[in-house]
Amino acid sequence: MNDSQPLETATTSIQAPSGAPDAKTRRYDRQLRLWAASGQAALESARILVIPATATATSILKNLVLPGLGHFTVMDDKAVTGADAGNNFFLDGSKSIGKSRAEEAVKGLMEMNDGVEGVADVRDIDEVLKNDQGWLKSFNIVVAHNVDSDVLDDLAALLWPETHLVVVNSAGFLAEFSVHYREHQVIESHSETSASLRIDQAFPALLEYAMSLPLDTMDITDHTHIPFPVILVRALEEWRREREQVTGPSSGIGSPRTSAEKKAFKERIRAMMRKFDEENFEEAEAQAFKCWTPTVVPSEVRELFTLYSLSKPSSSTSSSFAALISALSQFVQNNPASPQYTSGLLPLTSSLPDMKSSTEEYVKLQKLYRAQSEKEKQVFKDYLSKRQVDVDDVTIDVFLKNSHALKVLKGREWKDINPGSKELLADKLSTNPKEAAIHLALAAARKLRAQGVLPLLDPTSRPNNTSIKGILDQNNLKDLLTAEVRTFLPPGTELPEADWSIISGEIARAPSADLPTTAAFLGGLVAQEVIKMITKQYIPISAGNAASTANERMGICVIDLVETWTGIL
Amino acid sequence: MPTTTTTTVAGRTKHAKAILGDELHKKLGETKVLVVGAGGIGCELIKTLVLSGFIDITLLDLDTIDLSNLNRQFLFRTTHIKKPKSLIAASVASTFNPLVDITPIQDNIMDSEKYHVDWFRGFDIVLNALDNLEARKYVGRMCVAGGVKMVESGTAGYLGQVQPIVGGVTECFECMEKPKGGKTYPVCTIRSTPSLPIHCVVWSKSYLMGQLFGVDEDAGAELDEAEKQGENAEEIANLRKEAESFAQVRAAIRSGGPAARMIFDKIFNTDIKRLLSMSDMWNHRASPVPLDFDRIMQGENENGNGSKQKQTVALKDQKKLTTKENLELFVSSVSALSARLSSTETVIEFDKDDDDTLNFVTAASNLRSLAYGIPQKTKWEVKEMAGNIIPAIATTNAIIAGLIVLQGVNLIASSFSPPTSTPTSPSPSPLSSLRNIHIQLKPSVPLSAITTSRPNPACGICRDIYTVVRCDPLRATLRDVVQGVLGLSPPPISEFTIFASSPSAPSATRILADPDWEDNLDRTLGSVNVRCGMFVNVVHEEGVWETISVGIGGLPPDAGCYGGNANRNRNAEGEGEGEGIPWLMLPDPLPRLVVRKEEKEKSGGTNTPLPPPPVERASLKRGLGEDDDIVVLDSNDNHSADAHPPAAKRRKTSSNPPPSTPPERQHPARAGFSSPSKKRKLEEDGLVLMESAEELLDDISEDINGGEGDVIVID
Repeated sequence: MNDSQPLETATTSIQAPSGAPDAKTRRYDRQLRLWAASGQAALESARILVIPATATATSILKNLVLPGLGHFTVMDDKAVTGADAGNNFFLDGSKSIGKSRAEEAVKGLMEMNDGVEGVADVRDIDEVLKNDQGWLKSFNIVVAHNVDSDVLDDLAALLWPETHLVVVNSAGFLAEFSVHYREHQVIESHSETSASLRIDQAFPALLEYAMSLPLDTMDITDHTHIPFPVILVRALEEWRREREQVTGPSSGIGSPRTSAEKKAFKERIRAMMRKFDEENFEEAEAQAFKCWTPTVVPSEVRELFTLYSLSKPSSSTSSSFAALISALSQFVQNNPASPQYTSGLLPLTSSLPDMKSSTEEYVKLQKLYRAQSEKEKQVFKDYLSKRQVDVDDVTIDVFLKNSHALKVLKGREWKDINPGSKELLADKLSTNPKEAAIHLALAAARKLRAQGVLPLLDPTSRPNNTSIKGILDQNNLKDLLTAEVRTFLPPGTELPEADWSIISGEIARAPSADLPTTAAFLGGLVAQEVIKMITKQYIPISAGNAASTANERMGICVIDLVETWTGIL
Repeated sequence: MPTTTTTTVAGRTKHAKAILGDELHKKLGETKVLVVGAGGIGCELIKTLVLSGFIDITLLDLDTIDLSNLNRQFLFRTTHIKKPKSLIAASVASTFNPLVDITPIQDNIMDSEKYHVDWFRGFDIVLNALDNLEARKYVGRMCVAGGVKMVESGTAGYLGQVQPIVGGVTECFECMEKPKGGKTYPVCTIRSTPSLPIHCVVWSKSYLMGQLFGVDEDAGAELDEAEKQGENAEEIANLRKEAESFAQVRAAIRSGGPAARMIFDKIFNTDIKRLLSMSDMWNHRASPVPLDFDRIMQGENENGNGSKQKQTVALKDQKKLTTKENLELFVSSVSALSARLSSTETVIEFDKDDDDTLNFVTAASNLRSLAYGIPQKTKWEVKEMAGNIIPAIATTNAIIAGLIVLQGVNLIASSFSPPTSTPTSPSPSPLSSLRNIHIQLKPSVPLSAITTSRPNPACGICRDIYTVVRCDPLRATLRDVVQGVLGLSPPPISEFTIFASSPSAPSATRILADPDWEDNLDRTLGSVNVRCGMFVNVVHEEGVWETISVGIGGLPPDAGCYGGNANRNRNAEGEGEGEGIPWLMLPDPLPRLVVRKEEKEKSGGTNTPLPPPPVERASLKRGLGEDDDIVVLDSNDNHSADAHPPAAKRRKTSSNPPPSTPPERQHPARAGFSSPSKKRKLEEDGLVLMESAEELLDDISEDINGGEGDVIVID
């Protein structure tokens, strides 16, 4: 088994096709179908630091080690306790008690995938923050689970913005996490919306082809194989000519608007059928809305043009992205490859959806789209070449294929949301009371823990049963939490009483208990977000669009497994 | 309460207990859990169960470990490949906590003789971690029938879903119709007029593989059927000729000689030429082109397909092959497969993880595509198309497993009073809510949780009243069982139609008796082919009462004593202890007859009590316990006074009638014709009638389930 062979080697060493696929491709088959070789290569070159080796932290790591992360370091200066041994699957049970938590966890995690590099670091994070800052910044992502407030603040300040920080806090059934980055660009967003077929603004070859078909005299079999985009382009052009009362080409503008017009247009398509059950015409009727859905540049993409025209390129990756956006912006203003509609269009993509047709007709249509998209790509490349940034062809293809669904997300710095400005929190308490209350309670718990007021979960520190002492302790803790939370809010802010009682009670009951179900859940959810960040595919949880000036989102994912819901604050 | 019995190390269970409370935590240790499936979800589930404090776990899985499992099934290592998943998962997870007792079973859960209702009743909760729809349905039915709580689950890529199910309380797995997996194509499209790559892949995988390397089966049946469906007769006659000439190449493959050339010439040259001779077929279609072995080997037929491909970051299997490379792959895979046939194997079926078969299907479908002018596919794509592959990753499985245990704990907790909740600890117990949960791609709402729905009143699975009769099928008669369950009070047995069904295919019912056809009533179950693990469905002719579905169980090994009384009157108080039949154990109490909901609505408030509800009787020597009527879905004891209400719609027993089916067709008993002439009509309804006692129902269910590739793999 050659699992440790880098994927780049496996992918580029194309040997005789009859050979068995390499072990690595087979091992990762099911995930490669999700994020492809490019995503896998990104994952395999990523370096991650996780602090400390709690059950949740190792659950997160497990889900990154299995798909083949490049490198991880676990930092923890504590020894394994009995509670850890019963709670953390990746320790060696009771045999691990007394040994280094970091070393035992790394050993357990490494068993799952020998293609991953894992290192245990038994230093105290405080020390490292003072003496080894460069090393901390050498990671791509740092994940901190239930790390005390003061340490976390220092760590976050150090890492911002180059190294992404993932902060995870949990207590019993409650948790929250947030990913801290300045900006995150997603080209392959795997959007469910497909690019426009440009039915309403057909390119010359498509229009010409659609108008050239002798619909009434052609062979009936061929008639039943005309793909729906061709039918729609034809029907729309005929509609426009009638409206403009011309026999030659129409102005190419205008679509059915009123519901009566739309209804009549659908009837027009129906009337084009030459026999009763032509499925391609039925499909065209069902897709008729494409005639009155104007092909436009989505506003989110449009906003990026402004964003990147204002900002100065900072790093090399973002400068090539900025160049792509800038060339795209120019293309939208002027696309000579589409003489009738020279502005307001994104480059055409050549991928067509499935449709009722014959192979021949489908391929014919595909060729028309491909030829036009090649022309437009050339225009785009000409624009790009003026920007003096070297971008390879594969990146250009991927960029153009996804240009309708580009995403640039903004994140927030940790200090801005720990716990957040008083006004914002007061506002959140009124709009999202439960989410805000959980966020505030966890922030208060972090503060109290740092002050030594809130005990860490320890077999000796709390009574086994609900005794008088326990009740007093819990009520006392709830009061302390409430007092702490008040300092986060403008004077006189109302807490949502019922929710707050439950939430603060939950924290008081188990200030930092790592419940296996919560750890499993968080482990999956956080690892998923980390994978999205690393692969730059799919859309991670965020504070909103980078181009938007609205500041209403904090970018925190809040989890309540008592009632099983998640929310974004 | 001290729980040192489950703790070897001080503080080991500290985290879990702090949150669950001592009592609930202790309860988890006493709960008998069945986990069905030790794959992606199963591995995660076992881990989370063991950590949460579950002790008594049974883990069933049929599969062995494959390399492609290791990116998420984290209990397995490369050294475990080819070993049974259930055994390895159990042994790896057990090392975590020596007190955990995991019983692994490597078997197919759908073996209804072994895994029958009574077997399921041995568990407090069932957690489904399965990857195929049929098995998920099977477990769902058995849990509903046995009144066992369960949690259902599935994942696909970044998406996943969890559904807690309590029969009669929440909707069951089949209350909502599941989208049909797989797609069927007309025979002629696959065999002679393909137009898409998938047609060629299906042809190679389902037809050619079978013809060359499968069992020597009569391919005529499929063509007969196609002819009946009105497909082109001439084409079919032609396809018959084609099928007949496979005998020769089959022999060549098995003789160990070089067969690839012979196969190639037959399927890509001779057969295509024969098709071309039917000129009518190609008037409106592009005609295929016969392929020439030597020319391809010499490098003709290349149109820049693979050779000049851009070098991008792609996997080896994502490379487009040149025509010559395809042919070479065809030759090498045929010789690899023939070598296997002449040594150890007698039959080779397509398996996406069996590289020889995948190579063969890739090469053969691409060559066929070439002949028909269809774009070719890479091996990577063919694998996904032929293998019904669903992407699968560790993260989704972990999330889902966490949610399953959460919902499972909710279900367990809700069966007893909440633990130690005092007014001073207002923390919510995890009992409060059952939720259907979906993980979705929306970044703003990662999780959608909705309150579980009530059962669908038209559900053909969970609205029945389930009970179990233990008996010796070779001695107990149908009348013994049905009359025994109905009791002696009205309505009489003559008002019911009686069906047999197998839980692995509940829609393939077989009629055993009806009001006009009582010949079978006094025959033994065995003689009408009803065996242990099957169901006898007792359907009221007039549709007044809910169907009673009787699971047939075997007598317990220590059944020297016998408990049931076949001829007990429902009204008889205390006088029912008549002569028992030694080979029959009826449930105690007997299931209640429940008025169908629609009937009740119809008769409104005019209900008058008919026979009083069955009264509790002194327990028998070997009763089956009060669990038996746990699935009484509607405990209204007022039965309709009207013995002959208007005919009601019945949804059960016909084979998935489309919604548009007229009501009288939905239930054969409504059709009002008399046997045996009703047989034909029933068959039209999709029912299978037993011609003789020798017909086996299991064969029927195999026909239904054995269909090619229509199983969604959700791993």
